[in-house]
Amino acid sequence: MSTINTTRKSNPYGKVGQVINELDDRLGIAKGGRTLLDKVFPDHWSFMLGEIALYSFVVLLITGIFLTLFYVPSSTLVVYHGAYLPLVGQKISQAYASSVDLSFAVRGGLLMRQMHHWACDIFVGGILVHMARVFFTGAFRKPREGNWTIGTTLLVLSIAEGFLGYSLPDDLVSGTGIRIAYSIIESIPLVGTYIAFFLFGGNFPGTVILGRFFIIHVLLIPLVLLGLVGAHLFMLVQQKHTQFPGKGRTENNVVGTPMYPVFMAKTTGFLFIVGGAIALLGAFAQINPIWQFGFYEPARISYAVQPDFYMGFLDGILRIWPAWQFNAFGHTIPLEVTLPTVVFPGILFGLVYAWPAIERKYTGDNELHNLLDRPSFRPKRTAVGVTMFVFLATIFVGSSTDVIANFFKVSLNTVLVEMRVLTFVLPALAYPITLKICKEMQGFSGAGKRKTTNIVTRTEEGEYVATPAPVYVDDVHDELEALPVPTFVVEQDETLISTGVRRAER
Amino acid sequence: MVEQVITSLFVFGLLFTLLFAVAFVQNWAPWTLGATLGTGMSLFGIGIIAWGKYLMPRGPFVEERHELASSEAEREAFTAAIVERGGGVIKRRKFLAGLLGTGVGAFSIVSLFPWVRSLGPMPKGTLFHTDWGKGTYLVDITGRRVNVSDLTIGSLVTVFPEGLEHTDNGQAVDQTVLIRVTNQDFTTRKGRETWAPQGYVAYSKLCTHLGCPVGLYEQELELLVCPCHQSMFNVTNGATPTFGPAPRPLPQLPLMVDASGYLQSQSDFHEPVGPGFWERS
Amino acid sequence: MKLRHTPLLLIASALIAGPLVLFAEAASAGTSATPAISYQTSRINSGTPNSTNVTKDPVTGAITSYGDSAITYNVPSPALDALGQSLYLQNCASCHGTEANGVPADGTQGAYPNLQGLGAATIDFWIASGRMPAADPRSVQAERKVPRLTDQQAVAISAWVNSLAPSYPAIPSVNVKDGNYSNGQALFALNCAACHTIEGAGDALAFDTYAPSLRHIPGYQIVEAIRSGPGNMPRFTGNLSDAQVRDIVKYVTTYVQHPQNPGGLGLGGLGPVAEGFVALLIGVGLLALAGYWVGERE
Repeated sequence: MSTINTTRKSNPYGKVGQVINELDDRLGIAKGGRTLLDKVFPDHWSFMLGEIALYSFVVLLITGIFLTLFYVPSSTLVVYHGAYLPLVGQKISQAYASSVDLSFAVRGGLLMRQMHHWACDIFVGGILVHMARVFFTGAFRKPREGNWTIGTTLLVLSIAEGFLGYSLPDDLVSGTGIRIAYSIIESIPLVGTYIAFFLFGGNFPGTVILGRFFIIHVLLIPLVLLGLVGAHLFMLVQQKHTQFPGKGRTENNVVGTPMYPVFMAKTTGFLFIVGGAIALLGAFAQINPIWQFGFYEPARISYAVQPDFYMGFLDGILRIWPAWQFNAFGHTIPLEVTLPTVVFPGILFGLVYAWPAIERKYTGDNELHNLLDRPSFRPKRTAVGVTMFVFLATIFVGSSTDVIANFFKVSLNTVLVEMRVLTFVLPALAYPITLKICKEMQGFSGAGKRKTTNIVTRTEEGEYVATPAPVYVDDVHDELEALPVPTFVVEQDETLISTGVRRAER
Repeated sequence: MVEQVITSLFVFGLLFTLLFAVAFVQNWAPWTLGATLGTGMSLFGIGIIAWGKYLMPRGPFVEERHELASSEAEREAFTAAIVERGGGVIKRRKFLAGLLGTGVGAFSIVSLFPWVRSLGPMPKGTLFHTDWGKGTYLVDITGRRVNVSDLTIGSLVTVFPEGLEHTDNGQAVDQTVLIRVTNQDFTTRKGRETWAPQGYVAYSKLCTHLGCPVGLYEQELELLVCPCHQSMFNVTNGATPTFGPAPRPLPQLPLMVDASGYLQSQSDFHEPVGPGFWERS
Repeated sequence: MKLRHTPLLLIASALIAGPLVLFAEAASAGTSATPAISYQTSRINSGTPNSTNVTKDPVTGAITSYGDSAITYNVPSPALDALGQSLYLQNCASCHGTEANGVPADGTQGAYPNLQGLGAATIDFWIASGRMPAADPRSVQAERKVPRLTDQQAVAISAWVNSLAPSYPAIPSVNVKDGNYSNGQALFALNCAACHTIEGAGDALAFDTYAPSLRHIPGYQIVEAIRSGPGNMPRFTGNLSDAQVRDIVKYVTTYVQHPQNPGGLGLGGLGPVAEGFVALLIGVGLLALAGYWVGERE
């Protein structure tokens, strides 16, 4: 064991050195810290997609905290006396009143509300594109199945969190969504009415649901999200990021940029860009104008109401599902509700969770993989992914049957029947088409890679010669010199089994 | 060249950030707040990335991956510690271990009880009954009683039991849509000959699919369409669903007319209103 | 034709008849020549002459206008009858018949609505909003388009048609000065939003019908539509008083037709659908492009 050294040489780096000395005395940060600074991150652009999700989550936290300082999660009625005239004098819930006040009476409130909502949409969208990248490149394979599970849970939780969040202002559109959610819970066989009554404190709407949604949205799910995101990133650091195969890249190394300073610069810059983009959207594109919708009263309804896009697939499948029900022995199972909204998502997410195991079983591949696949090199997996995407996209479009019918001036009933047909036809077409495209790309060398430019020179005899030009002028990719990041010096102790644990001497 | 670009990015970023401060203090229009903040942040971000991408050492750099898995010896030691130490302890006191296991299992189950049961009442009451009864007057949202001389053919109004139009239950459970389909007494289905006096039919407004208010009436088609998922109900034959996902007709409220012509309900609905659930029927 | 051709014939006729069933269903859901309906309600101040202010012609004793402080309904002057009849014969008689009773010259009774006894406001609404003369008489719902006749011509035609079987509602003029925005919003949300959407954008309804957008309709036409219940729209007679209709008009002509949109672009008032597209295509799309710049290609 190293002796505790009480007399150290003064750190030659001045003030910064002194601070590090003090910290290291107490926490021992220098050893691990040096390794951390040297950590190399592969640089491919598709690895930035997860950061879109991560940084929009940061924006969600910051803007969300601001909103909690004003929002009142209560169904108690108050008389509105504010800036928006069509509400003045009406009895509205405190939740709705505080949300409208946030939009009109709090400086920066509308911006924060809109940034929060845009960030949510971008958060879920970012998770989806990141998930697609992970799926299509096979990054979920051993040893990263745990991260896939964590990521899928993050997706499910973020969808739930978004639903709870936009239901908080108690406006007409989101209140309708809560009514539908209540009915879905109620439809579960045997226990549905119990769960619904327990959750809502009685029949719909009750007086407690907003408060419960609030605490779940502001405390419970964010805690779990933070923990899972932390675990997600920890595993990423522990297992190191995957990389595409290429020059100098093997299963046993990582090629890219070191954490400090390059990666930190890029990722900090990206944080600002994501925040800036959300702020610009919050400035120029109105989202969820709750004042326009009016407050929620159970007898009111608006046409053309849809949930946010990440719940759209549920709305779509509810619309196209046939009117089945099971009604016998004194009990009703509303199959037209339970099947599309309880059973179907269960199967869907079950498949997603189980995918690494399914692929392991199917390919018999139990090896460790740190190199990624090019999607076209795995035609079946890519085809399955594209088919699933097409299926979900078709159902999602099904949630807008009325908008489509209105836009194209077609009968609403015809559109619905067509959507039922397309739900089967389009995915059935997507699978073989994707398979064929992938197989063709495999046989075509250079497909999917950047095409090099050719410099055409004319010789004096009139001959044209084409030579490939370098990718960029000072292209360093030609000769991949392993510029190893300097290692640190560590005392090798032969009796150590692992850090700090010594084999017992008998 | 790149340095100059980055410099100007940072300068403008700073300018926009200061402009945000001005917009905030001066209370300019909401969009200016977001525009200045967003532009400032984006410019900063682009500048920082450009710095990292073009001015910092390009690399690429290589790091060797350490073997994730521990060595055989380490694995053995770890497994041995868990199995032998723990197993040894338990092996000698199997009975105690079993008892402990049962206790922990029971604890984890019963500790959930408050989390489930205390949250709300048992399902009953308004799931099966509404506030409509014998002689309850139909009122609109302003509390005005509906008279048979009020509506004409093709007219509809949302009605509630008198006195309950602004209550949770009145709105959520009792809400009823009243439509005049004709001028004479009307029969929607066999057995309902007295339910629609002078052509006034009343149906529960709660869609039997997922509970959305079915407020969309097309008078020439005589169709009630639910705005949420486009279930269509034919008002002339007891709100039977003719299209869309709803499988059950809307419950019909039996009506009667009092001496002054005001509409009343004969009784409650003859079945539970709203979406389907296990205990219904 | 042999016996063995029967299956082929059956299949062929099913293929042909099948789609026709869909269209036939849609077509039968169209307008039919119903007998004139009287807009009867006994409620005072609800669009009928049973109102607080009634003015009569001193000579003939006929009602020239009625209403209350919120809405005044004006019966068009008989002086317009001649002009109205000539305009009617030019533009409307080919479908609705020379007697405006829905029997055109070729005698096909029941193809087009009987216009008698519907009230001047009904006739004026259909013409002034541009729906009549219909671009496609066979369509399920006449489309709103640029009006072919001026407002004055519409009033004239309604004057003549009304004179054949005088009824109500007469042509309204709304005084929104004392209207209440909140009341209007509450009534709009309860009565109108179910078809026209809460933002007044309009949307497709069952079969080929649709609820039109409310963005460009003048206030008096809103009253005409509410009181006459055109097409599949329900009639609101005794269930909405004139004061309530005025409140709805005040709300619609301001906050629905000219939303403040303090948050930025309204994105068409389509709600989460449009927002999702913007978030995914513009938000995530542009950020992914930014990522493409930040990262490497290899």
